[in-house]
Amino acid sequence: DALLSCHRHYRSNPTHGIGRFKYLLPKQAPKKRKVQMKEINPGTEHEYGDLNIQVTSHDLCLVEHFAQYLHKLCNRLCLRVPESYAMPTKTHEVLFLEERGSKMQLDAVLTTHQRVVQVTGLSSTFAPIFLEVIQSSQPEGVHLLVKEHTEADFKSRLKSRPELEELLAQMN
Amino acid sequence: SSWLPQMASFRGSHWQTSVLAFRASLPMRAQPKKKKKVDVKREQAQKDRMKKKIKKLEKAAAEMIPVEDFVTPFKYSDGSRVRSLPPLSFEETERRVLLLKKWAVFKQKQDEAEKKAIQTLVEAQQEALKELRLESEELYQAAIKRDKELFPFESDGPSYTPPLPGYDPPEGKCIDITKVYTQ
Repeated sequence: DALLSCHRHYRSNPTHGIGRFKYLLPKQAPKKRKVQMKEINPGTEHEYGDLNIQVTSHDLCLVEHFAQYLHKLCNRLCLRVPESYAMPTKTHEVLFLEERGSKMQLDAVLTTHQRVVQVTGLSSTFAPIFLEVIQSSQPEGVHLLVKEHTEADFKSRLKSRPELEELLAQMN
Repeated sequence: SSWLPQMASFRGSHWQTSVLAFRASLPMRAQPKKKKKVDVKREQAQKDRMKKKIKKLEKAAAEMIPVEDFVTPFKYSDGSRVRSLPPLSFEETERRVLLLKKWAVFKQKQDEAEKKAIQTLVEAQQEALKELRLESEELYQAAIKRDKELFPFESDGPSYTPPLPGYDPPEGKCIDITKVYTQ
């Protein structure tokens, strides 16, 4: 019988969760991963290499949810997702000139959030369909940009080292 | 006569033939050799020090800029403020649960429609490519190749509140106040 031969214990069974033990172990801090750039895949004639889908918006929740939706969509369509990360937030102060006056008044402080989902192995025939699907599910206020992954994109995530740059400039 | 002392003050020493050509006229004897050695040594020492500094800095691995989104601000870490909600009636809870179920069904239908749309698109594309192959092999091979002008692809989302046609906005400016992290 399909019902009796099922090996999975249901939640109401008294022995449910009998093998669990990881919740008893002390919590380990996450290991520090070495920051190293992965090799950029250039792609072949019929397949695109590393592509970055950058989603930008002022609304944080919307951008997060859209990025998660894109990631799940890629999983469902069997597209490989090597990385899915967040770019640092940018803050802008918007000032406007008063009607009667010469002083600039603070209007608002806007934060721009950006999430990046990397996709590899997109075939040339499936690419337009994929872009069509993403466009149709794009919410308002969210700006979409799909481009190839470059070293400059990776370097923009790292902290700047002014001392090292100064010394290198002096050497040359 | 009175003009002699004026002539003497015009030139500093008897070696100075004209006011402008100072260095060329004064003979430098023992100094240039010393300067060369000391300069070369000093420069080499300076270069070595700089190379050591650069090696030291390069050894330290590059750090990623921390994302402010994932760090909860300090003012929200206080756990004393708790929201006190009134207890909900039975009808209200029932209404909410039924609404959630209707929403789940709606989202499921939306998801299925999307999957079906993708499938029909892919099937139609495959059929068209088959027919094209029967028509001409060259066109088929050209169609399968990747499009160079496709990326970068940019698209703004749908806009439900487009800018008004006759609106005159006040003048202003935008200042970037993002915190710059240096290593």
